[in-house]
Amino acid sequence: MKFIQTIGHFGLFSGQVLKRVVTLKFPLRAMIAQTDMTTRRCLLPVVAVVFPFGMVISLQGLQIFSLFGAERMLASLASVAIIRELAPVLASVLVAAQGGSSNAAELGAMRIEEELDATEVMAVDSMSYHVTPRVVALIIATPLLNIIGTMAGLAGSFVTAVFFKNENAGVFLTELGSHTTSFDLWAAFIKTTLFGLIIGLVSCYLGYNAKGGAEGVGRAVNNTVVYSVLVFIAVNYFLTSALFGMVA
Amino acid sequence: MTLRQPVATLGRFSMFCWTFCRSGLTRRPPPGKVLEEAYKIGVRSLPILMTIAFFVGTNLTLQGKNAFEPIGGQNLVGMFVGLAGVRELAPIIAAAMIAAKAGTEMASQVAVMRSREQIDALEVMGINPHWYLITPRFLGILLVMPALTTLAIYGMLASAYLVAVYQLNLNGAEFLDFVQSAARPIDLIVANIKSLFFGAVICMVCCYNGFYSKSGPKGVGSATNRAVVTAAVICVILNYLISEIVYA
Repeated sequence: MKFIQTIGHFGLFSGQVLKRVVTLKFPLRAMIAQTDMTTRRCLLPVVAVVFPFGMVISLQGLQIFSLFGAERMLASLASVAIIRELAPVLASVLVAAQGGSSNAAELGAMRIEEELDATEVMAVDSMSYHVTPRVVALIIATPLLNIIGTMAGLAGSFVTAVFFKNENAGVFLTELGSHTTSFDLWAAFIKTTLFGLIIGLVSCYLGYNAKGGAEGVGRAVNNTVVYSVLVFIAVNYFLTSALFGMVA
Repeated sequence: MTLRQPVATLGRFSMFCWTFCRSGLTRRPPPGKVLEEAYKIGVRSLPILMTIAFFVGTNLTLQGKNAFEPIGGQNLVGMFVGLAGVRELAPIIAAAMIAAKAGTEMASQVAVMRSREQIDALEVMGINPHWYLITPRFLGILLVMPALTTLAIYGMLASAYLVAVYQLNLNGAEFLDFVQSAARPIDLIVANIKSLFFGAVICMVCCYNGFYSKSGPKGVGSATNRAVVTAAVICVILNYLISEIVYA
């Protein structure tokens, strides 16, 4: 019962936010400031996670492919694994952990310290002033961070293959180019935009409705990461099925 | 930004770990608390972890099939799942989700205790806070991490198998053969050893951030936020180093 109630409450909240997004009823300046801050905050974590992961993919891939003498396949593995799946998912996990949870922490603190009520008293719509810019910022920032993350992952895989394992750089780059289609890039772009929306809505919902003092803020931050990752990983599966089903 | 602050943080973190090792690990842990923490971390994180592992498996299979089909290597899907999933993705996703669920909970609990001056109260009562607060969490997470990782790996394999056989109509036995060719029992042991390191890192980073948080809802929120990002980044980098040592 409580679960269904929460789902309904979340749906109403999302509807209100999306209405303001579509009708552009939010301060542009705050949105730009939020986008700037989110991107900057998440940049280092995203790169720091995807780059080593690219290195690991090369390491493992080479080990397997060298059994068959098929080291040239490495770049195609890197392309599939990083561009299509790992970079979007890992970048979004990190955006949820950094950008999403800091949204929840800030909004939660504003709720507990009654700043949001104060905004309402001043006849300023707190949804369009505090919430919507954050959601829009995440929608914009996540695909951008994914692009940077993808490049970092490919760079990591290139570094391991070429500098540590002495593969041929030209072969790697040619194979990489021939196995990556523009559709892969678009699919990743669409996916991450949607993930950004999910992270934004979940984090703002939990932060906006935080209660119970400092502990409540901690709980909101905690739940933000868990639930947004849960939702977008599930969405990822269906979206991937749909996108590739469309092409095939 | 100067270089001084990161160096100072690193120094303080090392001091924190050193104090913990000296005063927290040399005595018997507080009675009864270890199992309680292990239960909290393990059982409460399990549903989330399994759901995430399940969807990671479905996605890997889907992407592997889409990628290898043009080059006529449908059977390589099993290998791809074994390689990317069992060896790398499942352990690291498990660690990331434990950091997001149990780690943030640790950070926010300790931070709330700090902001309510309960940690100071413990010291006044002559109870060592490192020993009382961190030792049970540390031992508890070490106890459950291997089990959670193993379950995540099997959950991921099960979902990968389901997608391969029922959605993509591949041959199930062949699929499993190829999984086994890429992931051997030794890989399971390596994954478990990795997970112990991840557990230690998650516990230390999250408790450190909680221990030195600022008071008030803002302090708790930002400590929790910082804890999960730092823990995830360190785990991924550590993952690369361990893979490099073990597999290269």
